[in-house]
Amino acid sequence: MIQQLLEKHLNILDYALSSLWRRRLKNGGVMLVFAAVIFLLASFQMLTSTLTKAAGDVLAQAPEITIQQMRAGRQESMPLAYREKLAGIFGIRKIVPRIWGYYFDESTLANYTVMALDPTTMPRGRDLRTALAEGELPGQETNGEVAIGAALLAIMNQGERKAFSLFRPDLTLKPLTIIGVFRPDTDLLTGDLMLMNMNDARDLFALPADRVTDLCVYVTNPAEIDTIAKKIAARLPDTRVLTRPQILKTYQVVFNWRSGFASICLLAALAAFIILAWDKASGLSPEERREIGILKILGWETADILAIRFWESLLLSALAYLLGCTAAYLHVAFFEAGLFRPIMIGWSVLRPALRLVPAISAGDLLLIFCFSVLPYLAATVIPAWRCATVPPDAAIR
Amino acid sequence: MLIELDAVSKIYNQGRANEVNALTDVSLTIAPNSMVCLMGASGSGKSTLLGILGCVFPPTSGRAAIAGKQLSRLPDRFLTIHRRQTIGFIFQQFNLLPSLSVLENITLPLLPLGVAPKARKQRAGALMTQLGIGHREKFPAGQISGGEMQRVAIARALINDPPIILADEPTAHLDSRLSLEFMEIMAGLKAAGKTVVIASHDSLVTGHRAIEQLITIKDGRIHVP
Repeated sequence: MIQQLLEKHLNILDYALSSLWRRRLKNGGVMLVFAAVIFLLASFQMLTSTLTKAAGDVLAQAPEITIQQMRAGRQESMPLAYREKLAGIFGIRKIVPRIWGYYFDESTLANYTVMALDPTTMPRGRDLRTALAEGELPGQETNGEVAIGAALLAIMNQGERKAFSLFRPDLTLKPLTIIGVFRPDTDLLTGDLMLMNMNDARDLFALPADRVTDLCVYVTNPAEIDTIAKKIAARLPDTRVLTRPQILKTYQVVFNWRSGFASICLLAALAAFIILAWDKASGLSPEERREIGILKILGWETADILAIRFWESLLLSALAYLLGCTAAYLHVAFFEAGLFRPIMIGWSVLRPALRLVPAISAGDLLLIFCFSVLPYLAATVIPAWRCATVPPDAAIR
Repeated sequence: MLIELDAVSKIYNQGRANEVNALTDVSLTIAPNSMVCLMGASGSGKSTLLGILGCVFPPTSGRAAIAGKQLSRLPDRFLTIHRRQTIGFIFQQFNLLPSLSVLENITLPLLPLGVAPKARKQRAGALMTQLGIGHREKFPAGQISGGEMQRVAIARALINDPPIILADEPTAHLDSRLSLEFMEIMAGLKAAGKTVVIASHDSLVTGHRAIEQLITIKDGRIHVP
């Protein structure tokens, strides 16, 4: 009995396959369009996951807590002496002063991020060295040395030249020399970065020797980040205290917002496709109606006819799903998501040149499956059920 | 198998403006292992009567039974199961699927029964040889001659070895030689123990020596001259 039932479904599957092959041109066209819609959706989902993961990986090196001074709702430099006010907070491992600013270069029309700190004072300062593709980090006692991002190096169009100059606020020129370049796979955070020592940064921004833009706090136990951040906020009420999880969440929100916006547009395209599939399936051609009628007169039950439709739709949509997801993976992995980079990473002049390693979870794949294959199955099988229940004589008259 | 109809009526589109009384108060009995011809003009109700005998649809009223089993009370699913176990159909237009091969067309009724491909091919092979179409096995059904299509339709009707064969205007698209050939095949089936019911107004059918009972239908009623 079970053997017979299994054989029956194998026969029906075989018939569904041959039916798909008989209408291969039409079915091939539908599958390609469907695969294209799934490709777009999956690309966005993969790119969002990949960027979020990349940001998380890079931020793993960032300080657990960052303190900035705020005035009138805007950030300004803060006294270096604030460091002493934090002495005695249990759990703080290290406090590293940092200068973080922006420089608009009129010749390239790009904003550079200028950062200065002493890596030797950081708990894992040596790790910063590993982010370099070539050269060295600027020394703390030297003058005018910088390490820059790969995207920045490209836009500056320096050629073989290492020396360049930036304007100080009084419009005098500050000469600098490139001694290191960051790896392109860290471009998300280093693409527009110019790293120098504290003295050069103070010189470039005309910042007094007793002031910095922020203090980086490293803690002993990461589980206590929030508690320590609250204590800092209590001791320095005129500052903004940012924790690493908060910064990571900001990245996620930005990527998710962009991905969500684009996904809504793509879901509209998917919905249009599903409506089209429904319309097509509910208005079977006379040839298809005749086939159903013949099969019913020959002893096929309504459930058998539905099983053919189900297998046809499942095979077609599963194939489109596999094709779409594979194409999306290749698009993100080998073509760096070229179609969607401007939307997801930004329209900045300095676009990060990321080497993306696709990160996609089973949950993401399931989500795409639920939003594509399941609606398509419903859109084709339900109208087919309506057609399969008509009396067989009506179908062949 | 004994076929019995008692005061059977069939109304299409009942209660609507386009209501049609296709059959009215039809009673008849067809004995097992007999060959019967339903005769009548186009639109007289022959095909409707054949449809009720073939479990394609139930009568609107009256009692229809095959081997004592009441068709009029069976739900659609059981009508289908009863149809595939009991009835073999041969249609006027042959009703083959033109893009399928001859073999695939013949074995269509076996697919929902869970018959394995090898067994299907064996059963179809025997029938194709018997009907002289073995050489057309792999041809698409849409690319063979009318006579061959008719034989494919006969093979398909016989593949389940049903006890009853129903044929609706089977010679309408055949010349006289092929029509006679068809009737000889039907006579052979009758001799093999099957009940054959043919709806036709072709004199080659109605006048054939193997026909044992001639039932004339006129305006949906059995006409007694």
